[in-house]
Amino acid sequence: MPNKNGSVYGLTILSPIIDDDKATPSHDLQIRDYLARLSTREDSPFAVAPGTHLARLVVLDDVIYVGMPACEEHLKSKYLIFESNCDGDLDGYLHGLADTIADHLDAIWKHCVGYPGAANRQAFVDYMKACQLNTTFYFAAVNDKSVEETLRALQTKTAVADFIATHQGADPATLQREFIRFAAELKARPIPRPGSMGPLRDIKTGGHNE
Amino acid sequence: MSNINGKVYAMNAITPMKPWKTWIVRGILFLLGNFKRLRQDVVDLSFIEFARWVVLPRGGFPFLGNGQVKENLRYDYLLFFSNFNGTWNQYIDAFSAVLSKGLNLIWRWSEKFPGSVPVTLFMQYIALLQFDTDYYYSAYPNATANDIESAHIVQSSLDQLAAMAEGSSPQQFADAYLRFVLQVQCHLGATGNAPVAG
Amino acid sequence: MSKLNATDIQGFVLRGYNLPVARYLFLHFESAPRARSLIARLLAHVTTGQRWDGSKPKITVNIAFTHRGLVHLELPDATLLSFPVEFQQGMKHRSEILGDCGVNAPERWEAIWREDRVHAWLGINALTPDALDARCSAMVSDIEETGGAIVLGSQDAAAVVIDGKPTTKEHFGYTDGFGNPDYLGVERSSQPGQGKLMPNGSWAPLATGELLLGYADEAGEIPVGPVPHLLASNGTFMVYRKLHQNVATFRGFLERQAAAYAGGKEKLAAKFIGRWRDGTPIELAPDHPDPSIAQDPNRNTNFTYGADAEGTRCPIGAHIRRVHPRDAFGFNGRLINRRRITRRGLPYGRFAAEGDPVSDTEDRGVIFMALNASISRQFEFVQQQWVQYGNDAHLGNDKDPLMGNHGGHGRFVVQGDLSRANPPLICSHLPDFVELRGGDYFFLPSITALGMIAMGLVDPR
Repeated sequence: MPNKNGSVYGLTILSPIIDDDKATPSHDLQIRDYLARLSTREDSPFAVAPGTHLARLVVLDDVIYVGMPACEEHLKSKYLIFESNCDGDLDGYLHGLADTIADHLDAIWKHCVGYPGAANRQAFVDYMKACQLNTTFYFAAVNDKSVEETLRALQTKTAVADFIATHQGADPATLQREFIRFAAELKARPIPRPGSMGPLRDIKTGGHNE
Repeated sequence: MSNINGKVYAMNAITPMKPWKTWIVRGILFLLGNFKRLRQDVVDLSFIEFARWVVLPRGGFPFLGNGQVKENLRYDYLLFFSNFNGTWNQYIDAFSAVLSKGLNLIWRWSEKFPGSVPVTLFMQYIALLQFDTDYYYSAYPNATANDIESAHIVQSSLDQLAAMAEGSSPQQFADAYLRFVLQVQCHLGATGNAPVAG
Repeated sequence: MSKLNATDIQGFVLRGYNLPVARYLFLHFESAPRARSLIARLLAHVTTGQRWDGSKPKITVNIAFTHRGLVHLELPDATLLSFPVEFQQGMKHRSEILGDCGVNAPERWEAIWREDRVHAWLGINALTPDALDARCSAMVSDIEETGGAIVLGSQDAAAVVIDGKPTTKEHFGYTDGFGNPDYLGVERSSQPGQGKLMPNGSWAPLATGELLLGYADEAGEIPVGPVPHLLASNGTFMVYRKLHQNVATFRGFLERQAAAYAGGKEKLAAKFIGRWRDGTPIELAPDHPDPSIAQDPNRNTNFTYGADAEGTRCPIGAHIRRVHPRDAFGFNGRLINRRRITRRGLPYGRFAAEGDPVSDTEDRGVIFMALNASISRQFEFVQQQWVQYGNDAHLGNDKDPLMGNHGGHGRFVVQGDLSRANPPLICSHLPDFVELRGGDYFFLPSITALGMIAMGLVDPR
């Protein structure tokens, strides 16, 4: 099935950006600026909205000329790419975005042609679907676990390593007692917030010399 | 702009294709999508969290009126989005060393693709058609694909042990615990910050 | 491919001399013309890779330059700019990439390495300390006579001597010297397990270009090198790192951890590295050392990890498994053939036998020297991804137990099985057993290239 891999959905949205030479800075630059200042940590809009494993926003400036004998051509508009790897189905995800982060959606997509705003849910969903590209081939290393399950498992991994390390050589009765308590406490622990294990954001690209 | 968030790198690439070749690529991607054996090498490389290819025909650019000028293009385009762990060099090196046939199969239909071997020309081609990410979010930026796979193994083993912990004798539990440790002993790596790239 | 022109390659590249004492002089050039005339003088003494028919020389001399050294020799700008980026930057500037932080940070290095003044390394190996002293005074005289350089400092190193005989032991008590790769065209007694793994399970030499510039590497290309080609050919890059060893901390840690380990102290020590202290690989002999394996070149490095995917014989994070994964990453080892290095170092400082009192502050450790065609692709990659990090081995952020900059927080998992003598064990709170005291990246030119440098003939297109 296109776009889907197991329980994960590969959403690809390509939104034309408004081309208005009277806007200064131009709409594409305004988007870039907004995104550059947007947090990617637990206060990221995609941490607040449910169901996003990994997502990116990219302003596609133009296609690339690869050199003779290929022909040179240029796009007439710039486009905003939204690539998301998310849980659930498309409608649920889009509604989730509109419900929780309408302000951010509007701030970003208001620079795009024909964007109706997130307030009108149906119009918003229709707009996104009109801009949706079919994900022809979609690979997911883990395709059957939700964001919450993954965050919980990562927390568990650290906790288990610590438990094993600190209970080496314990006698069976103590071990059992402590383990039962540990397992219960771990189960009750809230899962870490999405995006929360991130390092401080830095304007650093992946250089080709590392 | 940042292509990197924690341990994961967002690569974007766009390549032009003569429209008659697009159908071949669609066919290849279809086969890749439906035959697991063809994907095994990608799975074994284990540093890709999510990746996708998107065929974007020249008439497929969304057109929403409202003053937008319609595109009039000669080529179809192939978009590639990858979320991978490790450095850019390591990623391309590994693909060239191990996946060259598969990559050639998909990208040879793109204009001026030099082949994925030898690696230097391949790297130059990618560098030419890579464009940068403006905003990159991960719900678990300090975890790699390997960390996540390990985490699920540990969670599942823990759940099994927890299920029998109460109803067993201390010795029974101790035996089960040892087996549990052996099940998870290769999966206990710490989670922390990524190595600094360049 | 045909035999290499061994007389054009510095001997240090092609073979470990097995001479037990060494002194490394670090030079600083003040005047390019005088420096060049010094190099011309030294050229006569530089040891080549020519085979020694009959007697081995008692003394060898080799020379290498930092990028700033080449700048001070006034090589043309176009040449200087064509060197690989990491070599131009120098090791100090790459400290973030290498994980040289905390105790390993450049601020804590010896002064000679903190100040950007080292221009050349002059490596002298000798059979006896007297021969070494004699040669060194002769060299220093040459240096003073030509006024070609200032000697900033020197570093002595020597094989550990036990019962009057030089050994390949290092200060933690391990037997070293097994890991060097085989390369096509480099004559040395070939050992199975040293090269690259072939699909049929046999071992073949690595491409020459993994060690020497100007030859095809494992990716079928000529490695990045400076222009003109003549300057690069038959040369290589050297990574020099002075690694202080905290022997007291190591011994204490091993004792304490061994108390909780049913396999015993020697087995635990073997689990850290992947070899028993006598060099027997634990992959081949999981229960006790075996001199018949350790001393047999056909066996002591002839193994793979395919049958030990869980790490129950050799732990997944053990040192030799990290730096040479062999087949552990699948794909018939293809992902690691470009990540190999040749090591040429020697220990320094007084050796303290097991049981002798020892202190971390005593000056002892190993002079780590690695030779490779591409510092960034080979040494830096291994250091960053496999020593100070563990993701490729599915070990998350866990670092190499002995070499990692743990800062007291490190963890090492010894995978085990159900047998009583091989239980699983987690070692926690690993301290820094090794501390970086300084170093840099050097270019080791061919004899031809040295001549070109000495005569001012380097001419980029």
